[in-house]
Amino acid sequence: MKLDRRTFIEILVGFSAGAGAGIMLTPVNWKIMDDMAIWSQEMWPRYQLGGLKGKLPERGKVTHEDTVCKLCPGGCGITVRKVKDRATKIEGRDGYPVNNGGICLLGASGLQLLYGPWRVPGPLKRSGKRGSGAFGRISWEEAIDEVVHKLTDLRDKGEAHAVAAILDSDRGTVPQLFSRFLKAYGSPNFIRTASDQDTYELALNLMQGAEDSVGYDLEGANFILSFGSGLIEGWGSPVRVIQAHSKWRSGNGDRARVVQIEPRLSNTAAKADNWHAVRPGTEGALALGLAHVIVKESLYDPMFTANHTFGFEDWNDFTGKIYMGFKSLVLTEYSPQSVSDITGLSPRKIVALARAFAEADRPIAVWGRGKGTTSGSLYECMAVHALNALVGNINKPGGVSTRPDVATQPWAEVVQDATACTCFNMPRVDGAGSSRYPLTKYLPDRWPQVMDGGNGGIKALLVNGADPYFTTMDSAAVAKAFEHIPFVVSFSSYLDETAYHADLILPNHHYLERWEDMPTPVGLHKPVLGLLKPVVSPQFDTRHVGDVIMTIAKSLGGKVADSFPWEDYKTALKETVGEKWGALEEEGFVEDANPASEGSFGTPSGKFEFYVTAFDQAGMTMRKDEEYLPHYAPIKPEGNPVLYPLLLVPTELMRLADGAVGNPPFCTKTLEENELKGDGLFVEINPMTAADYGLSEGAHATLATPKGKAKVLVNLTEGIMPGVIGIPKGLGHKAYDDYLAGKGVNANSLIGVVEDPVSGLCATWGIRAKLTRV
Amino acid sequence: MDSASLPFDQALFPEGTKRCKLKWFLLWIAALHGPLTVGAIAAVLCWGLALNVTNLNNNYPFGLWIAADLGVIALGAGAFFTGFLRYIVKIDELKNIVNFAVVIGVVCYAAAQGILGVDIGQPLRGWFIFWHANVHSMLTEVAFCITAYFMVLLIEYLPLVLENRQINKLGFFHGMAHHLHEAMPAIAAIGVFLSFFHQGSLGGVPGVLYGRPFAFREGFLVWPWTFFLFILSAIACGPCFTILITWITEKCTGKKLVKRNVFDILARISGRLLAVYLVLKTIDTIYWIALADKAGAPFSSFYANQPYGYWVLVLELGALGVIPMLILLGEKTRKNENLLILACVLNCSGIFMNRWIMTVQALAVPVMSFDKFVPYIPNWVEFASTLLFVWAGAIVISISYRYLPIFPQEKELNPQ
Amino acid sequence: MKEAHHGEGDKKTYRYGMVVDLDKCTGCGACMVGCMAENNLPFRKDNSDRTRSMLWMRVYKISNGRTFPNSDISYIPRPCQHCEGKDHHHATPCVSVCPATVTDYSHETGIVSQIYTRCFGCRYCMAACPYHVRVFNWWDPTWPKGMKKYLNPDVSVRMRGVVEKCSFCYHRLQRARDKAYAEGRAELHENEYQTACTQACPAGAINFGDLNDPHHKVYKLKKDPNAFRLLEKLGTNTKVYYVSSKAWVRKAGNAYTGMQGDVVIPG
Repeated sequence: MKLDRRTFIEILVGFSAGAGAGIMLTPVNWKIMDDMAIWSQEMWPRYQLGGLKGKLPERGKVTHEDTVCKLCPGGCGITVRKVKDRATKIEGRDGYPVNNGGICLLGASGLQLLYGPWRVPGPLKRSGKRGSGAFGRISWEEAIDEVVHKLTDLRDKGEAHAVAAILDSDRGTVPQLFSRFLKAYGSPNFIRTASDQDTYELALNLMQGAEDSVGYDLEGANFILSFGSGLIEGWGSPVRVIQAHSKWRSGNGDRARVVQIEPRLSNTAAKADNWHAVRPGTEGALALGLAHVIVKESLYDPMFTANHTFGFEDWNDFTGKIYMGFKSLVLTEYSPQSVSDITGLSPRKIVALARAFAEADRPIAVWGRGKGTTSGSLYECMAVHALNALVGNINKPGGVSTRPDVATQPWAEVVQDATACTCFNMPRVDGAGSSRYPLTKYLPDRWPQVMDGGNGGIKALLVNGADPYFTTMDSAAVAKAFEHIPFVVSFSSYLDETAYHADLILPNHHYLERWEDMPTPVGLHKPVLGLLKPVVSPQFDTRHVGDVIMTIAKSLGGKVADSFPWEDYKTALKETVGEKWGALEEEGFVEDANPASEGSFGTPSGKFEFYVTAFDQAGMTMRKDEEYLPHYAPIKPEGNPVLYPLLLVPTELMRLADGAVGNPPFCTKTLEENELKGDGLFVEINPMTAADYGLSEGAHATLATPKGKAKVLVNLTEGIMPGVIGIPKGLGHKAYDDYLAGKGVNANSLIGVVEDPVSGLCATWGIRAKLTRV
Repeated sequence: MDSASLPFDQALFPEGTKRCKLKWFLLWIAALHGPLTVGAIAAVLCWGLALNVTNLNNNYPFGLWIAADLGVIALGAGAFFTGFLRYIVKIDELKNIVNFAVVIGVVCYAAAQGILGVDIGQPLRGWFIFWHANVHSMLTEVAFCITAYFMVLLIEYLPLVLENRQINKLGFFHGMAHHLHEAMPAIAAIGVFLSFFHQGSLGGVPGVLYGRPFAFREGFLVWPWTFFLFILSAIACGPCFTILITWITEKCTGKKLVKRNVFDILARISGRLLAVYLVLKTIDTIYWIALADKAGAPFSSFYANQPYGYWVLVLELGALGVIPMLILLGEKTRKNENLLILACVLNCSGIFMNRWIMTVQALAVPVMSFDKFVPYIPNWVEFASTLLFVWAGAIVISISYRYLPIFPQEKELNPQ
Repeated sequence: MKEAHHGEGDKKTYRYGMVVDLDKCTGCGACMVGCMAENNLPFRKDNSDRTRSMLWMRVYKISNGRTFPNSDISYIPRPCQHCEGKDHHHATPCVSVCPATVTDYSHETGIVSQIYTRCFGCRYCMAACPYHVRVFNWWDPTWPKGMKKYLNPDVSVRMRGVVEKCSFCYHRLQRARDKAYAEGRAELHENEYQTACTQACPAGAINFGDLNDPHHKVYKLKKDPNAFRLLEKLGTNTKVYYVSSKAWVRKAGNAYTGMQGDVVIPG
């Protein structure tokens, strides 16, 4: 074929045009492109929501329901946004008296806990070795039968006192139901997990004769002197404190000065106007040093000390014997120089701080280490609280008061049968209330220690709202103590450490699925009663723990059953709230005025007692006068300084929950890169100290204490005192699931219990440690 | 020669040339499929498991792939620039290498598009760049020009295919090839136009990032200075890459394929352009330092994080810039084959390094004072999927060499 | 673009923006979680690699670099800065570079949008943004069994291979407008449209509103003598302001890396 130019061009053009037209006109191309776009946008199978119809996420009517958060003792009001029956968001509730619209990151993550795979799907019975995580589903009837059978058995053998219950709180109807159950059943062993409330309640009992814990008018104060309290880290009711902080930072008359005493640059220290780093464990000495200056320079409140305190001046009893008063003690023992030698803070700073504190209008000295998850030293607490008394800021606006609850209807006295009566009066497993620790209510860190010594023991343990297996100090001792308990029942909604090591799990409803009352949150100075309401229907085969405990009681029969006259938990709750129920159900909360009045104290002297007379009344023998007074009684950290040259202190991260609730994925996601990397937990150390041990940023190291060893990563920071290592609490879970389990180490596994000599509570603030490069 | 000892496929060879036995050829192609398969696996991993299989991250949205992309396109500039010199400047001697430059260009541009196909997160939506085009984006300009230019390259490549001894026997294809040859100056002109734009726009890609003081440049109208520098550096190194690949092909085949005077023309032009480039680049660098300093980003902060120390600047402009320039400018050094090849290697490395610096280092330098420097080293997936196109390119070149009349001087240089 | 700014009849223009009081910010992270919950951000078993973590709101911890006990830290919450840019040639950094018109600066609201289903994942916008506000979906988003129930239907779930970023909770603006429209109002109240992080912030440190509206809190707050913006010198013209009484924090926010020598280091 002969091809000339013309033909060629014709063919070429024709071909191109034909092909072009063909491609353009064939619907196949457009269809393919369209499909590719849609497929890559919507149809990708992984994006489709299993279980939910239609496109993701499903739409529907939006509603908002109010309830109260139960993830920490803070008790914030929350509003849950729902789309049809799905809860899609938790927000702070506007106008709620605790948190007025604010929320913390844990509270905002609540739905991950509600819908999370770590929920206990229904009653579980252990099927493998304990701690193997092997459980089998049983029915509620079988589960309750098991418990009833076991408890009947123990009671029949006269061992009712070998039953114990561990809860996160002793206030509110659910803890009260447990407490009532134990009393009717015949066990004295109601144990509340550790917190600074343990010591503060004791200190207030001793110094003010109050039964309650402490409440601070943080919003009203204008000088906040915090002795290591993690005000910003999540102390007390966290949102409330952060909101108070914002008030302190506002430009108007609410401006307050904040001084933080802490060996580490925590967020509280960073947000404070002044940060004074003292040697860990010497905070009490500093408080007394400040008292020295205040007394010496007569900066204290003369009216209050004269009219409403006892033991400020030296005094003599009816025999004429002279006793030392607080004034003499601080003047002789705690001069700025001697306190400087103890704390490492210069005398000049001590004097300046004391003056600033005493001269402020409404100063508050705040106590409770970190987030307040450890009990702490009694004398240290008293020393700090004495400062509040010195400036006369007790039971006043802008001051410190007791934390009252909204008055509710008391329940009828429990009528015990003979067994119950006998067993109930047996000594407690933790030694609280014994002749050695007559004034202490609970010794949550002590029971694993004494059990370990084979000193009696728990034969059946009920755990609700707490995760003692994880949160109790000295993890090895706790594990061993659990091994010795033949029957452990957990009521947890989540597969937490305790549930993981239980024999039976009788899961409670999640807090968004149940009714419950929320008494005044920790640290609040005004009575607030909040109400948890079911926002969503139960997602799993769970039951309200209140109903379960009443069913158990009723099954036990006799006087035990008689103690629970209510039909179900909600009836009990309604009756308890009484006439306020209508308002409570309508509003979601009720408030009261603080009943505490200035100058009224329940002590033997009727005054604020610097010199504690309650010790003698309780039959405790003190060797020296100063032991009746707030004084510096150093708590020595465990370990040989030669073998363990460094000091390890547990620290708390505000984005890491370290209590009974495991950190949800959202919160874990917010952790900084130098806090958690992969599964490695960082410990904080000063670069100077790190250099001594050849450690660089991000280095792998072995952290060893007399209690244990762990692999950690090293974070060099100028925010910590040389010679001190900080280890965050809250990681090292083995339970929950891959989003939390296996990450980091549990600080409690490295730290032991040092008992406070007077209270028996755990006064540990740190432990000696060694850090070696791997 | 005994016909039995001739390769099985010898009827397809270009007229008057000798090729190895088919089995050796197939073995060679098969050998190239080894690493190619690894690269293919890497690409499939990227598509199947998403880009988490790479070492890229939010600090390094651009990594080896983008640097390589910009690199191969610069290296592929040999095609349009040789075409420009041959058909428009009419340096006739270059007809002896222009075919091969086209083949190399096809490979480079195919590689660039292939790498992008792996690099983007949603390859199935890649065409959105045309569909939803944003005319303000340098990348849009690049995409349009590259696609159009790739078509031009294919049209330039087509006559070579048609001139295969057997295909050419068909009158239609023979004629078509002939007419395409006639149209080549026009096609080359289109190619030059498109290339100038996309080479420049690639320079614009980092140059317009005013949020990244390291990459940002002022410029002329909408074009930052990098626009012009990229064009210049591409045409300064493209010919060297053509020389380099030709030389490697010669080494592999054991034959001389192109006369040295052709190399010399390209090398000389390359050297001069490189000299111009280096002068302008030096001015740009000085101006850049002043600009950054004025805006508050001290020059030293750009080189504060290892491995990106000052050595980077010294290596890029000195060892990989001035040295090849001197070799290429000196007639004596240029005519020394070893030195010439060294210069080509340095020049091509220099362009790659420059593209890496303008993309990856530009992202490595923290901007906010509280940003942390994060190191980035590409992982095997990135390397393998990038190299995939090197192996594929080698296959295309091998087949093209074996069957297509690419080297007009081959017969003369290798008499039977 | 100029036309859009002034034209379009009598349509009112807004410049939604933020003022963050760093003196109040405690770094608690509630904003981050509030954002994640509101905007359906996925999470993974290991999120500790910040260079691949999906955060629209990221709280940076910065340190003054001094030695113990003179060290200090501060937090800088960093949502998308919704850069306004300066002019046609100096537009929002990410908007002008996106090849597929995925992201746009609205002159009506001042919000930088992102169309996830159009993004094909070239990541050029990420390279353009000096604030690292843009994150890429390196993985397919997945949720543990049952957890998809909490997903917010107002925000689409993104797919792998696309870039996403803070939208100033644009869906909340839409909801607020719908409500206002239904009630026959043309104007929104200040508190009707607030971002999830603003709402979540327990400290009240994050303030959100129309920077043009003298009645809005942000209007006054941005004029604080201690107010600054991140990398102001770049000319990105951001709409997120910060206020800090600490000089070193203001310096750190404003400066390029390296400029302040040993004064500021990443915390």
